[in-house]
Amino acid sequence: MLAFTAILAEPQHFSLAEKLLLVVLVAASAAAFWRRFGVVLDKILKSKKDPSFHLFPIGKRVWDFVCEVLFQTKVIRQRPLPGLAHAFVFWGFCAFVLVTLNHFAVGLGLGFLNPASFFGRFYTYFAAVFALACAAGIFGLFVRRFLVRPKWLGKKLSWESGFIAFLIFLLMVTYLASFFVADADPATRVLWWVHTLTLLTFLPIIPHTKHLHLILSPATVFLSRGGFSQIPPLVGDEDFGLIAGTDLTWVTSLQAYSCVECGRCTEHCPAANTGKLLNPKEIILGLRGYLNDLGPASEEPLLGKYNAQEAAFQCTTCGACEFQCPVGIEHLPILVGLRRGAVNTGAWEDEYGSKLFLALERGANAHGLPASERDKFIEKIGLPIFDGTQEYCLWLGCMGGYDPKGREIIADFARVMNFLGTSFGVLRKEKCCGDPVRRLGNDLVFQQLAEANLETFEQNKAKKIVSICPHCVRTIQEDWKEFGTPPQVEHHSEFLARHTDKLPKQANGETIVFHDPCYLGRYRNVYEQPRSVVALAGELVEAPRNHERSFCCGAGGGLVFLGEETGERVSHVRAAELVATGAKTVGTACPFCNSMFRDALAEKGEGAPQLLDIAQLTARGLPERSAS
Amino acid sequence: MKIIVAIKQVPERDAQVRIDAAGKWIEESGLQYTLNESDAYALEEALQLKEKHGGEVVVLTAGPERVGPTIREALAKGADRAIHIDCADLGARDALGVARLLAAAVKPEAPDLVLTGLQSDDLGQGQTGVILAELLGLPHSSLILHVEKTDTGMTVKRELEEGWFRTVELPTPAVLTIQSGGNKLRYATLMGIKRAKTKEVRTVTAAELAVDSAPVAVLERVALPQKQKSTQILPGNPKEAAAALVEKLKFEARVL
Amino acid sequence: MSGIWVVVEERDGRASRISWEAVAAGQKLAALTGLAVSAVVIGAQTEALATEVAAKALGKVVRVEHPLLAAYTADGFTLALQQFIEAEKPDYVLFPHTYQVRDYAPKLAARLGQVLIGDVTGFAEGPVFVRQLMQGRLNGSYRHSGNGPCFVSVQAGAFRADEAQVGEAAAITVFSPTIDPAQIRTKPSERFRGAAQTVDLGSAQMIVGVGRGIKDPANIPIAQELATALGAELGASRPICDNGWLPMERQIGSSGQTISPKLYLAVGISGAIQHLVGIKGSQCVVAINKDPDAPIFEVADYGIVGDLMEVVPALTEAVKAAKQ
Repeated sequence: MLAFTAILAEPQHFSLAEKLLLVVLVAASAAAFWRRFGVVLDKILKSKKDPSFHLFPIGKRVWDFVCEVLFQTKVIRQRPLPGLAHAFVFWGFCAFVLVTLNHFAVGLGLGFLNPASFFGRFYTYFAAVFALACAAGIFGLFVRRFLVRPKWLGKKLSWESGFIAFLIFLLMVTYLASFFVADADPATRVLWWVHTLTLLTFLPIIPHTKHLHLILSPATVFLSRGGFSQIPPLVGDEDFGLIAGTDLTWVTSLQAYSCVECGRCTEHCPAANTGKLLNPKEIILGLRGYLNDLGPASEEPLLGKYNAQEAAFQCTTCGACEFQCPVGIEHLPILVGLRRGAVNTGAWEDEYGSKLFLALERGANAHGLPASERDKFIEKIGLPIFDGTQEYCLWLGCMGGYDPKGREIIADFARVMNFLGTSFGVLRKEKCCGDPVRRLGNDLVFQQLAEANLETFEQNKAKKIVSICPHCVRTIQEDWKEFGTPPQVEHHSEFLARHTDKLPKQANGETIVFHDPCYLGRYRNVYEQPRSVVALAGELVEAPRNHERSFCCGAGGGLVFLGEETGERVSHVRAAELVATGAKTVGTACPFCNSMFRDALAEKGEGAPQLLDIAQLTARGLPERSAS
Repeated sequence: MKIIVAIKQVPERDAQVRIDAAGKWIEESGLQYTLNESDAYALEEALQLKEKHGGEVVVLTAGPERVGPTIREALAKGADRAIHIDCADLGARDALGVARLLAAAVKPEAPDLVLTGLQSDDLGQGQTGVILAELLGLPHSSLILHVEKTDTGMTVKRELEEGWFRTVELPTPAVLTIQSGGNKLRYATLMGIKRAKTKEVRTVTAAELAVDSAPVAVLERVALPQKQKSTQILPGNPKEAAAALVEKLKFEARVL
Repeated sequence: MSGIWVVVEERDGRASRISWEAVAAGQKLAALTGLAVSAVVIGAQTEALATEVAAKALGKVVRVEHPLLAAYTADGFTLALQQFIEAEKPDYVLFPHTYQVRDYAPKLAARLGQVLIGDVTGFAEGPVFVRQLMQGRLNGSYRHSGNGPCFVSVQAGAFRADEAQVGEAAAITVFSPTIDPAQIRTKPSERFRGAAQTVDLGSAQMIVGVGRGIKDPANIPIAQELATALGAELGASRPICDNGWLPMERQIGSSGQTISPKLYLAVGISGAIQHLVGIKGSQCVVAINKDPDAPIFEVADYGIVGDLMEVVPALTEAVKAAKQ
């Protein structure tokens, strides 16, 4: 009869026939496992080498592994309840290693863990605690998937997930039940065999399903490209990006096979949230499907049957997907890679895209406006020209140099720098930093722009650059590295934050909701500096989605230059969220966000919050003095 | 069909215009150069015709060594080969002189079609293509937006003033000058630039072509125009301002 | 040599306005050089045209007539004028700089070993002919070298048609060139308008754009009347189309149409960059806005600061009066 015995029961005697049967079953299970896993491993190993992958420095890799895999930090932090449930399941698996090994050893009469010994009791109880937590966790996840049905898991119910959940639950139950029987009970043998068969059924299923992540994801996290949105340089004369299977490197293949289909990437994607075709999860699964069907040696196009070109060009490169992924998939190099394949070969035919490329082929800025317009602006507000003697070179960028709102931000920032006594100058000639063409995958134009700008900096010997645009900051600091050594660059929020003690605190400031720009927040990890600046001007209010969860304004990835979007406008969705906070002012730190919200807020009519960059918020608090 | 596209490298549109020491042209040091805009459309038209009917697109350009990148850009966009007339004194020749150089290079090629851009962004004469037709003894039409091959030659769509158009039928071989805006231009791609490295660029010097070069129309000097572009705000009450505006539009801007 | 000959171009049977400007230019050149100025008309039936031209102060008017000149062809006009010039031996041949002239005058000049000095905006002692270079950012002075006629064409609006002086009726003679049909290699069709069904702002020569300053859809007819008076298309900045006050195909800007008209009037438009990018190809920009600091004024050639509800109707009236 079942009675709590406080000692894990193990069948004591296995006949030769049983042992043989066990060996045969284990062999069969392992063979079935390898039959599929071997294929997957083969595809990953046969994928192209990745010259941009460097194992060293290894410190960060180890750290990420410990945090994200062992401690499940990202899994828990970004989706707390389900994340914790999953963590228990994972920790349960870890805790069960010895248990499982001993379980099979027992079947061969070679059990090495005596459940009655001191260590044996300790360990089996320890595992039992985890078994309870794991069972509760897996049960909760089952309920979530089949009863709650969050849309990010997809419309179709995954019966395979249900079955696996059942198997895991069964493993835990059979383990825990073994505390309620004695060694000699026939029930013990039944429990033992059920547990064994469950395990041996589970094993071959792993490589056939998304549970492959059990084996792959620790490797995926450890072997990531490093950095965030790390776009690898093209190699040689025949590399144009991700066009066919032969272009996928082993890093990408490993990531494609690691997808858990959790949908966290899709949940935070601005395109997926506004009715567009793009779904980051489907991009990765599309690659996986391609690899499954065609393999890494195929010349079939990646954009076609498995993923749509249209979807690839709806990405704002906001990075929410890559940031959220708990198994280390790096979506951005894949999306930009797919775009490169289309653009570098001329396969992408888009009216606005062509216009943008032609404008930058022929001229200095992304708007296609004459460079003399920038000169006129500099002259009009009397910005000093950088001559090597000033401390900072103020980079105007395409928005600061040509957009009326961007110009206002520059003018106010210049006022603030003058107030602080910081010397600065602007370049006589600037070419677009190349961000839009970089994100759209046009390596030809990007190289031309980066090299031209790097040469300008060679000649001007500017050591420190400050910019009002996070896209420029990112592109200059990271992407230009491919073609030379960029000067040091920072965003104006970082500059201002260092001087908050010298800037006046404004009395009776209104409520200001700060919108984290994608390229400042997720890309650069700068969250508190702009907030410290906002706090000088008024009362900081947070939007529901803030910090690393900030929802894109919709301009990035070159999309602001691509004309009308399908579905809802990303900028309007975010603007509505900001307005709903009830704040009187929307604070921005990026001229593109500013431009996008300008139209969206104007539609709200009277009573809409005012829109101000942090430079403008700071400048309004300065004592009345003549401008630069 | 074999199509020759005559292209010109011109200073970039935003180039700063400063008069050189001799007062005869603009200061060239520090200028960035690019493919002439309507020539880009001529090239696009040629490439589309080749894609439809097969054949070869040859770009032809006269100029000093610095025209190299512009030739490569044309090859990158899809032209098959290039002929470079190495000429250091292009500015000293008039439109007839330049056309003579081009004609000398075109004649041995015996093309089916010669395309040029409508006019250059620097001199803006719009004559080279028409004169070229005369020198080659070929029929021509200018201000062309669209070209279609027919059994008897070509049918082209020609732009007229004030929103009117006309179609013209002509036999091949012929010369056409192409107006901007007729097609969507293709952008230069990385793949195109890489492939261009292996395409033939044949250089022939102006001296070898031995044509008459003494100009008939001589550019004696250049000067900056008196009024700089600045906004004229017209004062007065609505009626006065409106009347002043109409006057300006008619006689100063000459758009009415 | 026989002085200055102005080639008059006809439009619907009458001399075009730009031809009168060329006549005025010819008369000025005559005053400058001391040469006589005459005119030549060319076509299949030029009697009425010649009579009209002869009313101006000209030495002679010659009708170059041939049935094969009924429709313009480069071959026909070149052959005809070539023969005329070889017979008359002019010092100067002056043309109005029209699309038609651009199509044959360079050919004609080259045939005679000359080069057209085209799109001239003025002349000075010498004579020296001034034309624009570098898209209007530079002026160049040209001189004719060598023997033979000097071919010149004058830019529209560089000279004033109303300054073409009248005089005693000039003598009219007829010149009949020899043209073989086989020599005319091109076959032109009748002229036609572009596709009328869709709004094609991209090729419109004149456009009136309305922006948020119009405040109410009921006010749009005011702008439409101005557009009609000008013979212009109506366009709008994005917010107007977003509100549905005008259809999306009339949107001008980075996500709508890019325009390159001769004349663009921005009515009640502030000048956000998305709009500026769409209009940067405009030759002449006029801005009407009640905010003197509106960014649109930075890119406008002319501006009126005022209430568009008053300025636009006044402008409509002024335009109608000028067209009389």
